[in-house]
Amino acid sequence: MATRALLAVLSASPPRMIQTKVSTFSSSSSLSFQRHSRRIARCFSSDTNPSVLQPPDVSRLAETARISLTPSEIEECGAKIRQVIHWFGQLQQVDVSCVEPAIRAEMEGGNLREDAPETFENRDSIRASIPSFDEVYLKVPKVLNKE
Amino acid sequence: MSTTLLRTIQPNHFTLLGTALFRRNRTTTTSRHISVRCLGSQTASSQPRTAPKNHGSNKLDEILRDYEAVIGIETHVQLSTSTKAFCTCPNTYGSKPNTSICPVCMGLPGALPVLSSKVVDFGVRLGLALNCGLSLKSKFDRKQYFYPDLPKGYQISQFDVPIASGGYVDVDIPLEFGGGHRRFGITRVHMEEDAGKLLHSDTGDYSQVDLNRAGVPLLEIVSEPDMRSGIEAAEYGSEMQRIVRYLGVSNGNMQEGSLRCDVNISIRPIGQAQFGTKVEIKNLNAFSAMSRAIDYEITRQALLYNQGQADQIVTETRLWDEGAQKTVTMRKKEGLADYRYFPEPDLPEVILTQEYVDSIRASLPELPEAKRRRYEAMGLGIQDVLFLANDVSVAEYFDQVIGKGADVKSAANWLMSDIAAYLKNEELSISDVKLTPQELAELIAAIKDETISGKIGKQILFELLAKGGTVQGMIKEKDLVQITDPVEIEKMIMKVISESPKQLEQYRSGRTKLQGFFAGQVMKMSKGKANPALLNKILLEKLDAKE
Ligand SMILES: [Zn+2]
Repeated sequence: MATRALLAVLSASPPRMIQTKVSTFSSSSSLSFQRHSRRIARCFSSDTNPSVLQPPDVSRLAETARISLTPSEIEECGAKIRQVIHWFGQLQQVDVSCVEPAIRAEMEGGNLREDAPETFENRDSIRASIPSFDEVYLKVPKVLNKE
Repeated sequence: MSTTLLRTIQPNHFTLLGTALFRRNRTTTTSRHISVRCLGSQTASSQPRTAPKNHGSNKLDEILRDYEAVIGIETHVQLSTSTKAFCTCPNTYGSKPNTSICPVCMGLPGALPVLSSKVVDFGVRLGLALNCGLSLKSKFDRKQYFYPDLPKGYQISQFDVPIASGGYVDVDIPLEFGGGHRRFGITRVHMEEDAGKLLHSDTGDYSQVDLNRAGVPLLEIVSEPDMRSGIEAAEYGSEMQRIVRYLGVSNGNMQEGSLRCDVNISIRPIGQAQFGTKVEIKNLNAFSAMSRAIDYEITRQALLYNQGQADQIVTETRLWDEGAQKTVTMRKKEGLADYRYFPEPDLPEVILTQEYVDSIRASLPELPEAKRRRYEAMGLGIQDVLFLANDVSVAEYFDQVIGKGADVKSAANWLMSDIAAYLKNEELSISDVKLTPQELAELIAAIKDETISGKIGKQILFELLAKGGTVQGMIKEKDLVQITDPVEIEKMIMKVISESPKQLEQYRSGRTKLQGFFAGQVMKMSKGKANPALLNKILLEKLDAKE
């Protein structure tokens, strides 16, 4: 859960930071990267110096997360998020140029499932926890446009 | 079998409706007329100008002399797996709302997704069928947005490493649209999950959500921007539908939303390298609608260009309004959506071995394009080829009939005319009929070797379609063997002639059309069993004989 939260915070940061993030992710994730020379890999690691990471735009973060924050909360969060980003900056300083990039953590086989249906027994309690139910449907505010 | 004729034997909706449209175009009212008129009134409301005078059906052709349309398509295919993509909830269409749910697809804390092997299997199948390269290692990512049909707040999708990429698909343009062969590029195929279904009631200030569909597996196919007209786009869509049905990865049903096409379209003056502003069209639930929506959109954008108002073409999503036959603004896109993709931490990478890929490649069925080329090589005309290969069950039936040694052209004719008509009337699919491919082959053989006449053959056909049985059994039971003995036929002819002296006199005084009357009488007397060629030959001899 901790990583999930951190990733969510990171991914929800201002554009400049996203660029940095995407470049590291895609470089480490695309298979073609494996053909990249070590020199390029070094370039990447020096590229992600913490000084490049910009301070978070908390108002925008809150907007993308669909939450409203008071000015004092924004100030409070800002400091915490800056700290998280700083930790990531420290992590990115580690020289990993001699490590083979992995796109995901590897798992010993058998991580797929048979296509055999099984109904979840306790569906009633899931439905009971839905605050607004209209006969068989979930009731939500009228929405017409995505994004 | 709930499959009906529309889905199975007739050419797809696009071809059917397209043909109808084409015919109408050539007469008086035309759909293109209609769309141009709609456009006229639409622009007229925003600025006073005269509606285009030329309502001719070649309006679009005229536009396409100056402008080139650039069209790309995103196709979402709902997979016919038994479970959802990442949980064991049953994947069934039309269940009671909100019954196929569990902590995983509802995004409850602590629940972990586990991918179904069938989704990978189908992804590889489709990737290979679309001539793509496969990623032996691919991964899932989270695409984040807030919407009531998305319980988790993100969609599990594949972002930068899709399971398949860099392929192509070959299609044949139907003759009525100019014919020809086209190849369209496939950018990528990736695995993802569907969102729930959102229903907007006209009354009431709320919307309803059914989450049975949330988490159902999808394959998204992204094309290269290679299409240039509504017809090409619709034919591309039809081919996707054929391919997923041939492969058995989806029922490809557009009405149920199992196959959804979103079209991206821009136009640019011919010779301009830079692409124009891209507009997306959604809500296309038939290929005919897709074709018309695109042609409408080309016309709309070209008019704006011609009026020096190209800046009014904005990045937006438009909906096809089937009633009004036009596209309308759904939402303008302010800046690119930021989905904040990041790797899905709850799922491991998807690893394929080369042996696995090879085994799937070896198990692929013959695909539509291969079938069309094979039928063409057997000497069938392109219209027959397109009809037979359009539907996988019809193609399989046809293959079985000719596998029994039946004459290829006769088999095609029977399937395309009488059998197709029967299926249409009875609202059946080819897999519902009692006539086996074996017996259709027997029937064709019995007519060819003149055991029975073509007319009797038709009668037998309809009985076999409805009740089953064998051709030989029916011939015996009803004593239907064709009369090919000239002596017997001559006897009947003499009897008819002797009973119709008046008609004989008229015939001999020049009304030679009466030959038909005599032939009919003899055929009636033989209960349809007289060999027609022999009958006519002997009849002529007798009628023209000088007494
Ligand atoms: Zn579930």
